[in-house]
Amino acid sequence: MSNADITGGTRPAGEAPIDPVTREIIQNALASAADEMALALYRTAYSTIVRDCLDYSTSLCNAEGEMIAQGVTTPLHLGTVPYAMETLFRKYGESMCPGDIFILNDPFDGGMHIPDIFIVKPVFWEDRLAAFAVSTAHHLDLGGRLPGSSACDNTEIFQDGLRIPWLKLYRRGEPDEALFALLRTNVRVPRMTIGDVQAQIAACHIGERAIHELIRRYSLGTFTRCASELIAYTERLLRREIASWPDGCYTFTDHMDSDGVGGPPVPIKVTIAVKGDSLTADFTGSAPQVRGAINCTLSFTASVVALCIRSVMQEEVPNTAGLFKPLRIVAPPGTVVHGVMPAASSMRGITGFRMVDAVFGALAGLLPDRVFAAGEGGNTLVIIGGLREQGGRRVPYVYYELLSGTWGGRPDRDGNDGLCNIANVAANIPVEQAECEYPVHIERYGMVTDSGGAGRFRGGLGIEREWRLLEGEAHLAIRSDRRDHPPYGLSGGRPGRGSINELRGKVETRVLQTMISTSIKQGERIYHRQAGGGGWGNPLERSPQAVERDVRNGKVSVLAARREYGVAIDERTGKVDETATEDLRLRRQVAG
Amino acid sequence: MKPTGPFRVGADVGGTFTDVVLADAGGNVWTAKVPSTPPDFETAVLNGISRLLHGTAASGSEVAEVVHGTTVATNAILERRGALTALITTRGFRDVLELRRIRAPQMYDLFFQKPPELVERCLRFELGERLTARGEVLDEVDPNDLNRIARGLKEEKVESVAVCLLHAYAWPQHETLVGDYLRRNLPDVQISLSSEVLRERKEYERTATTVVNAYVRPVMRGYLAAMRSGLEALGIRSPLLIMQSAGGLTPEEEAARRPVYMLESGPAAGVLASQATARHLGLENVITLDMGGTTAKASLIEEGRVRYSPEYEVGASLSAGNRLTGGGGELIRAPSIDLAEVGSGGGSIAYLDGAGGLRVGPRSAGAVPGPACYSRGGEEPTVTDANVVLGYIRPGRLANGDIAIDPDAATSTVRDRIATPLGMDLLQAAEGIHRIANARTMRALRAVSTERGRDPREFVLMAFGGSGPVHAAGLARELHIRQVIVPPLPGLFSALGLLASGVEHHDVRSCLLFATDAEAASLERVRQELRQKMLDRFEAEGYAASRVALSWSADLRFQGQASEIRLELSGDPLDGPGIQALNEAFETEHQRLYGHRSDPENPTEIIAVRLVGQVAAPGREAGFRHGASAFAARSRRQAYFGSDYGVIDTPVVARSDLSGTARGPLLIDEYDSTIVVSPFMSVRRDEHGNVVMEVEDE
Repeated sequence: MSNADITGGTRPAGEAPIDPVTREIIQNALASAADEMALALYRTAYSTIVRDCLDYSTSLCNAEGEMIAQGVTTPLHLGTVPYAMETLFRKYGESMCPGDIFILNDPFDGGMHIPDIFIVKPVFWEDRLAAFAVSTAHHLDLGGRLPGSSACDNTEIFQDGLRIPWLKLYRRGEPDEALFALLRTNVRVPRMTIGDVQAQIAACHIGERAIHELIRRYSLGTFTRCASELIAYTERLLRREIASWPDGCYTFTDHMDSDGVGGPPVPIKVTIAVKGDSLTADFTGSAPQVRGAINCTLSFTASVVALCIRSVMQEEVPNTAGLFKPLRIVAPPGTVVHGVMPAASSMRGITGFRMVDAVFGALAGLLPDRVFAAGEGGNTLVIIGGLREQGGRRVPYVYYELLSGTWGGRPDRDGNDGLCNIANVAANIPVEQAECEYPVHIERYGMVTDSGGAGRFRGGLGIEREWRLLEGEAHLAIRSDRRDHPPYGLSGGRPGRGSINELRGKVETRVLQTMISTSIKQGERIYHRQAGGGGWGNPLERSPQAVERDVRNGKVSVLAARREYGVAIDERTGKVDETATEDLRLRRQVAG
Repeated sequence: MKPTGPFRVGADVGGTFTDVVLADAGGNVWTAKVPSTPPDFETAVLNGISRLLHGTAASGSEVAEVVHGTTVATNAILERRGALTALITTRGFRDVLELRRIRAPQMYDLFFQKPPELVERCLRFELGERLTARGEVLDEVDPNDLNRIARGLKEEKVESVAVCLLHAYAWPQHETLVGDYLRRNLPDVQISLSSEVLRERKEYERTATTVVNAYVRPVMRGYLAAMRSGLEALGIRSPLLIMQSAGGLTPEEEAARRPVYMLESGPAAGVLASQATARHLGLENVITLDMGGTTAKASLIEEGRVRYSPEYEVGASLSAGNRLTGGGGELIRAPSIDLAEVGSGGGSIAYLDGAGGLRVGPRSAGAVPGPACYSRGGEEPTVTDANVVLGYIRPGRLANGDIAIDPDAATSTVRDRIATPLGMDLLQAAEGIHRIANARTMRALRAVSTERGRDPREFVLMAFGGSGPVHAAGLARELHIRQVIVPPLPGLFSALGLLASGVEHHDVRSCLLFATDAEAASLERVRQELRQKMLDRFEAEGYAASRVALSWSADLRFQGQASEIRLELSGDPLDGPGIQALNEAFETEHQRLYGHRSDPENPTEIIAVRLVGQVAAPGREAGFRHGASAFAARSRRQAYFGSDYGVIDTPVVARSDLSGTARGPLLIDEYDSTIVVSPFMSVRRDEHGNVVMEVEDE
């Protein structure tokens, strides 16, 4: 069946068919508008977390609030829009006006976690609601216990920061000054937070303009029909794909090292069941809600499943609400994958990443050729916040760093050494940018020898970065993981090397927990080594030439080449000693 | 016609053909289309020039200028044939190049592969040294490290070195020191310092750009040296000017030093020539299609403006995501004309895949061996062979005899290798090849139009290159474009575009000034320095200050933003009211683009001042006439227009024969191309000699 066959089908009787050129233009125009929104947001934003790390997303929804396009931004945000839109409709469905702009961050009102603000602008055409422009951005600070409004050891949401339920930030084009004043008063660096909110509004403005242009050219009716057809088309494609998979049931359990407050490991368990053209992801058996701030909303859990399924699909599909229709998510309330009041959740991203690993682990049973071994296990967040001298005044600052990532070995090739996690199309903060704008100095940033899990296809190398504080004393919050439960290998591949955190003072070095809030003084250094990716396949089957190349480039040591891969490298020439290698591998195989 | 000097030569090198044009003072041009001569591309250029000099009885000493567009550097990257290159970084940062910005170009792709780095990790050396963001020296350059690195470079027989140290965009002293040391100790190795290539903050972008520069520099230098000595052998001692990616010409010395600014040299000329033609015709919105022997390139002219992009990636695929996030190719932070390219041209090879499917390209028969019908050793069927079989391209001599088309060779290869195995008849098979080539070409056209939400129906298609006119009608129909324009000498359009370009230099100075009265004097100081440097440079190249046109712009942003808005500045000194007007213009533009103005807490910063100096080409507005006798061939050919129309006994005319409006089908034979006017189109020649085709309502 060709795509053209699938695209046909759901036309209400009596309406003229939309010609294929128009349909293609509208589909591409929507995707391109969502990208343009993302560019506008990036260009006008102020904080490092948005401007440099790109932790934000943009999308467009139809008049019913169903997503019709997503910018090339954060996959983890993909599935949260429907939940947000549902509560927005419940509260304001009857009272939306042209010029209104809505704001939300409360996870208990459709949001994700305190730092993520949703800005939604309904788009009207001649007083009729036609679409929505949506942007979501991770904010530098929204008040709360510690700078950055994110700390693993927050134990209730009120410590995370200011809760904003769905409210009108603009009414008919006029800003709600009271709400702005409240925001300004409750955040540590108002210039950044308000500036980034403006950037989100700018993105929505771009989205609105693009929708208006499309409607002007093609009429509201054509636009509306195209938009809903796009969702149905996505659903049909996904159902057809799932139907091509074997029916069956696969369970996988992975762990986080801690509950955020030094407690025991937190299991994440998922069972994926495929039946016909639909799929159920059941998280029953995952840990109960935890004390620390790593509890997720149901929307976030749904998002994870959608992004994993989207990633193993073979066909290119539009990123629309149609992706969710064949999926059923089971996540019992009161668990770490579906928190209830007053669960803290500011650092719940790590749980999302672990759910991704668990879902891929289960999918590996179903589709072994399409899934890779575990990557680094999620972004490490390092937040340094305090006061600094500026023009004779002591002013607050928050340096928010998101460190990412590396890939696991894959069924046909190595993991990428140093690439953002598949769940979060993030970027790094340029060293020069950080040093120009914040009182930090970066000592090193690079890859770690022997950190990639051995395998026929090697896991990507882990990344290390070291920061030195240049001024005063600051709060430090770190969210990392995968020290005690390193990224898994697949099909006989070895796990990647685990992570480590150190606080390096002038005289002594202290090993820190993976999730911690503490403080740091001028001249002290924080060293973080992220986990390496897991390997795929038996390391003894790796081509000796590939091992030789890795040794030449310092990615694998001579010692590890011998120990992990059974490959003897002549230290003098750097070449494979073929006889010795053959011998080593033979003995290893005999030994089993 | 008696040619009168001084002459100017334009040479555009493509994957298949090299086009050379010679223009005299009166705007008459003589042309040569010769097969390209990879890997020594200069040979074809020199052959072409030699032939034209001979044909016009002109002497080399009468040539005042050679203007050149080349893709030598880009090819070196795509084919990974650059120099053995090393990179020197600040200690602790050798992986900056490999880690990139950590981003992937698309979401949801588990099998995405980062392209291999141009410098392998074992050739990335770390140097003990460190400056802070404010230029304080934390660690002096370690002489022992330098020594060790120099030894390593020798041992590995490195040909080219990129140096990128932290904060060198503002504080180049350590890089300068390293550069001096290496140039002294390794005189045969070429050294590219990031502070000489790109003075912009952000270490990955600067490193990547410097590495690309280093990687292609020996290739470019060798190429230009060979060209220079060849020109001298022809008695030509004129300046050799190279087209830059963003348009404008630059002298050969500069091209050899900073080739990273010339990567898109070839395609730029065609787009700029299209823009000039469009302006002439009063057309606002044009999609350009430059389809030659190897690739098809598309670009968008909107409201009369060419689209530029501040950075781009070589080797990245055409997927829409790349433009937003990057990560799929080699990043180059240098301005270029925004275009989309696919491997689809007359030389693209048609073959049957494992499953018996008919495929076309991206592999090209190139110049050697070329399409089967050129009888130069090519055996595989190409798009051109299919077009010969279809009757679109005339048999016999093309391009004044440089190439001969053998229809029997075309027929037998298409029949034996495609039609017979597929059990199709010959014409169906040829038409299949033609249409698949169209479908591939369409990807480039879509990438610049529908994928950006632009409706091609609102644009005119301007088609050139040797294959553009053959395929334009079919492409226009697919995209519902109503009008197609084929300019005179379409196969040589880019080479002619080179002659219409002037010398152009760009300079930028990073600064960090607030847009306030208090800083006006500092701003003027920066401008004064830039102006002087620019004029000195032109003077050194032999252009008097009076001939140089300066255009100023400044990059502004609200303090703390990562990206800026570029605004034009007048040449007059900025005083209080001028600064205020600048602020106002910035906020208005910000409002227009993003819907909001300033926050009182966020002052406006000027982060860079830019200057472009231009010297117009002589006779730029004059237009060109073909000096050789016009091609004339009234006849008829049997041409196949698909199963709807079948084989039609089609009239063949020359462009000059067109008067009034004619209806398709019609074939317009030209010097080096054929314009195919399909049965569903009408055609006329406008007063400037352009062929204008329009889709008739069917």
